[in-house]
Amino acid sequence: MRRRDFLKVAATSATGAVLFAGCGRIGDGVPESEFKLAQPVFHPNDWLYRDAWFATAAPPEQGGYGLIVRVFEGRAKKVDGNPDFPGIYGKSDARAQALVQELYHPDRLSGARRATSRGSEQFEAFPWDSALQEVTQILREEGGERAVLITGRLSASQAAIVAAFQKVTGIRHAVLEPDEFVVLRTAIRQLFGVSTLPIPDLANAHFLLNFSADFLHGWIAPVALAHAYGEFRQGKRGQRGLYYHVGPRLSGTAANADRWFPIIPGSEGLVALAIAQVLSTEGKVPQDRFGPYLTALGLDAPRLASEYTPERVAPATGLSAEQIREIAHALVEHQPAVVIAGTSAAAATNGLFNLVATFGLNWLLGSVNQPGGLLLNPDPPLPDLRVPDDAILPLRGWTELFEQIRAGTISTVLVYRANPVYALPSASGVREALQAAKHVVSFSPFLDETTTLADLVLPDQAWLEQWGLSVPDPGPGFAAVAIQQPVVKPFLDARAFGDVLLDLIRLLGQEPPWSTQEEATKALALQLRSLGRGSIPATNDKEFLVTLQARGGWWDEQSRATGSAPSAAAVQPREPAFAGEQNQFPLVLHPYPLPTLGYGELAHLPWLQGLPEPISTNVWQTWIEVSQATADELGLHTGDVVRVLTPQGDVELPVYVNPATQPGVIAIPFGQGHTAYTRYAEGRGVNPVTLLAPETDADAGTFAWAATRCRIEKTGRRARLARFEGMVPAFQLEEFPIVRVTAPKA
Amino acid sequence: MRYLRLILFVLIVLVVMAVPLALVLARSYFLAPTAQPVKAQPIQFPHSVHVQAVGLDCTYCHQNAMTSAQATLPPLELCMQCHKIIPTQGRPDLEKLVAAFQQGQPILWNKVHQLPDHTHFVHSVHLSFGFQCSTCHGDVGAMGKPGVKQVRDLRMGDCITCHQQNGARTDCSVCHY
Repeated sequence: MRRRDFLKVAATSATGAVLFAGCGRIGDGVPESEFKLAQPVFHPNDWLYRDAWFATAAPPEQGGYGLIVRVFEGRAKKVDGNPDFPGIYGKSDARAQALVQELYHPDRLSGARRATSRGSEQFEAFPWDSALQEVTQILREEGGERAVLITGRLSASQAAIVAAFQKVTGIRHAVLEPDEFVVLRTAIRQLFGVSTLPIPDLANAHFLLNFSADFLHGWIAPVALAHAYGEFRQGKRGQRGLYYHVGPRLSGTAANADRWFPIIPGSEGLVALAIAQVLSTEGKVPQDRFGPYLTALGLDAPRLASEYTPERVAPATGLSAEQIREIAHALVEHQPAVVIAGTSAAAATNGLFNLVATFGLNWLLGSVNQPGGLLLNPDPPLPDLRVPDDAILPLRGWTELFEQIRAGTISTVLVYRANPVYALPSASGVREALQAAKHVVSFSPFLDETTTLADLVLPDQAWLEQWGLSVPDPGPGFAAVAIQQPVVKPFLDARAFGDVLLDLIRLLGQEPPWSTQEEATKALALQLRSLGRGSIPATNDKEFLVTLQARGGWWDEQSRATGSAPSAAAVQPREPAFAGEQNQFPLVLHPYPLPTLGYGELAHLPWLQGLPEPISTNVWQTWIEVSQATADELGLHTGDVVRVLTPQGDVELPVYVNPATQPGVIAIPFGQGHTAYTRYAEGRGVNPVTLLAPETDADAGTFAWAATRCRIEKTGRRARLARFEGMVPAFQLEEFPIVRVTAPKA
Repeated sequence: MRYLRLILFVLIVLVVMAVPLALVLARSYFLAPTAQPVKAQPIQFPHSVHVQAVGLDCTYCHQNAMTSAQATLPPLELCMQCHKIIPTQGRPDLEKLVAAFQQGQPILWNKVHQLPDHTHFVHSVHLSFGFQCSTCHGDVGAMGKPGVKQVRDLRMGDCITCHQQNGARTDCSVCHY
């Protein structure tokens, strides 16, 4: 190039770059509303009274415990735990704190909508009154008996309203919960005779044996259990609680344990049986305690003693017989001890057996309903506040239901805050069923995968805009009810689901028991007062309601569950089974729910998308965790893209090499892979459900999502993993002493 | 003569480089907040009438400036304390105000002093230290229609300079989340 040309090119490109960058104005690309400042009509409360915090309740799928929300200029700014509410000590978690993002989400639906055609994902505005009339007309013409109402877990007051709606219309109610909780509820009901979930009294325990439950970062009550775990470890002077974790993956919870015993996925129940065998044969536990345990498992003492010796069980579990004995000895040497199990333990083909065998150890230890043991929770204080157990369907129940819809026996589907199209495997036939249904009405506040298949959308209000009563499940060990109240004025043109159901009852020509969700909440709350017990002494109804709203809840520490020992066999011992031939698919695919996104229901909230997964610190994507041994064998490094193949399908994903992952296990997080569900969730990562064979638990009929084999193949490509941890390999600074990791005295 | 061509070349390169540099500086100057025209607002609010003619103090309307992070806009009901008896006929801006109040509709103003999202500015701290509103906002009380104009840069360099001059902390977390 000649000098003159160089100068020309340099001048042109530099000037062009500057002019290009200089076009437009600062702030371009920012939404129109970003720089707006709203001048309120009336004085917001916090201007008049300073620092306004309103008590309300967490959504039922997050536990339904008490929250407080700081409101500034009429806007909800900050969510935290209610310091008065029992069990949580003013704590909350990221999922609760992200509720403000649900409230002010830019993709929240405002106003009723009608699809231009089913599945087109195109909706047009539709007046609320017309939408309600149309749903009424559908229910009149098709009949409530030919309709089904699919919901997520409901709050207690919503359950009461749905029950009233069912009474008038005859509609069937089906609840979609993650299958691991369906197994857990079944196991607890069969083992202890209660329909509510129990809570381990960690704060007073000296030893915790946990089979796979990710209790610190998810599972049933992460807020209460994380606080109790602090007490367990550091709350007693001179007595640090000892924690052993038995499970196939080093989760964030497992990483907190004193000892992690890696096992073959799904073998938790067998380990528990071998522990019971040791306790029995060594006489560590009085023999009369074995009755309920053996009954629940359909075993007798000789069979337990002969068939489940540590030596016989060990090869199927991945542990040594000595390790099993070590755990058994620790259980009796550190009393009071408590045993819990969950997450992947419940998602094997023998999930129910795993949970019965593991939770049943509490009978042997005498720790059921004892301080430092497993506290059972009573039924809700009012029958109206109970969600019926038979409404909660396992995968087998869903498959039958969708078959009925496809066959035309059920013509109308109403969906509220449940996303079966995303959550259930395609083999359930959910998509085909919704396409075949005559009418689909969604009450979702967001356009999720299921709502995109709806004819009508009647968006629900955000959780912080609604009235309700919530019974925490699990409770703190005694009866407790949290009140949910709107902390801000409704932000968009949406209507509370309960209000819509009550309107529909009215339009169907019947008199609803309450005119609004607010009235239902207050009427049910006053029934609590009529019980004449509990934490709110009040001389009149108004005083009771005001106190209830101010404190955020009602509880009665005297109201506790007694439970009952099992009288018949709940399940038979069985080993886990996996889909896929071992020679074709040598690895086990081990999905796990993310602490923040759960099973994908919270993927629409960017705060939660951005929170690192505790072990890998990855964010905003899907990846697979591969052990160092597998990575060395295949020549893989973090960031390499591999093809994951299962009998069900294949996807390409980046690898995260984790030295703590077991060889032979490939871990993959749930949560991503949405094809709809707002700008923050759509088109991001992979939904592991699409890779999983539709295996079920033979006893519970639930989805066994931890029962699929896989193999991985290199693609030769690489991708950048968005993660929080440093990219520089860790190294030891020699001038500092190396931190020694030693086993605690067992 | 031997170095003349080289010197000439270097000079030309410098001139060539000076052009984009000048453009960058010009962009910075012309797109600076203070160089922007007065933003259109839903109501052309004359501060001068309220401050100079009526004699209101800033905090009469911006009630939270002394006590919280935000100065806050007055609720419409505060405006209406006076404007319910002030004739609106022939005053389209006042008609808009009354209509918004009667319909219960908040008025959405275009924000004039816009700091980036990753910074936080606490009005009460600055006022407690003795600064006047006009230190940052200029003589808003003299600004009539069509509305308020930003008179001070209020970008990071401006903030840091002022902090340094007044002995305030300048570490990142003072302003950034």
